[in-house]
Amino acid sequence: MGIFDMMSISASALSAERQRAEVTSANLANAETTHTDQGGPYVRKEVVFSTNNASPFQSVFNRLGGAGSAPAGSVRLTDVIDDQSPAVRRYEPGNPDADKDGYVAYPAINPITEMVDLMSATRAYQLNATAISSAKQMITESIDILKTT
Amino acid sequence: MATTPLLQALQGYLQVTADRQQLVTTNMANVDTPGYHTQDVNFQTAMQQVMDQSGNMKLQPASVEVDNLPERPDGNNVNIDRESMMMSETQLQYQMGVQLIKEEFHELLTAIKD
Repeated sequence: MGIFDMMSISASALSAERQRAEVTSANLANAETTHTDQGGPYVRKEVVFSTNNASPFQSVFNRLGGAGSAPAGSVRLTDVIDDQSPAVRRYEPGNPDADKDGYVAYPAINPITEMVDLMSATRAYQLNATAISSAKQMITESIDILKTT
Repeated sequence: MATTPLLQALQGYLQVTADRQQLVTTNMANVDTPGYHTQDVNFQTAMQQVMDQSGNMKLQPASVEVDNLPERPDGNNVNIDRESMMMSETQLQYQMGVQLIKEEFHELLTAIKD
């Protein structure tokens, strides 16, 4: 517990936000993908974050030496879910993925939504990186007590 | 057990500020977690707990949920500006505690040498 937990909590957030940026980048990269191994167009993915046993009782329990791998309050990416929005249909009779009426199903991905998501993941990453520097500085200061005299 | 009462108090102060900084860090980490609520230390309760020398084990958590923060549609009420401000503030308070401890040790040393 204590000031070293701060770094692992921020690190868990860094990793969660990085994975969110990865998923968003995959969405952007596949915005025009009409053909996948599962058949049909690419399906937009979304991440689900959850917090790790943040109940006050759990944090007190951990402080008193209770077992707990990640400190209370860490963030986890629990799931990556498929966006259920229907595919966008465009009339392209020459496309090999076109159906019998000449329509091609494109993933329902709006680049603007993805860019905003990517930007907010980046900002949250920066925020937590700053929190890590702050924790490091506090640890360094405590070590400096030893340099007295 | 600390050498002087002041050291004991300062040790408790550092403990409380470190706990508060941990909660600020937790709030920042959960800025995108749906349904998460901002937490903070109740300074008075926490300080009383660390200063209590009866040796009784405390199960009363000093962390409280912060009221009156506007909630986003996903149920999260973390305010980045508040957390950034709290982080700088707590860091400075911690720095002050460390400086006071150094000063106290310095005085002890002076007393020993003279």
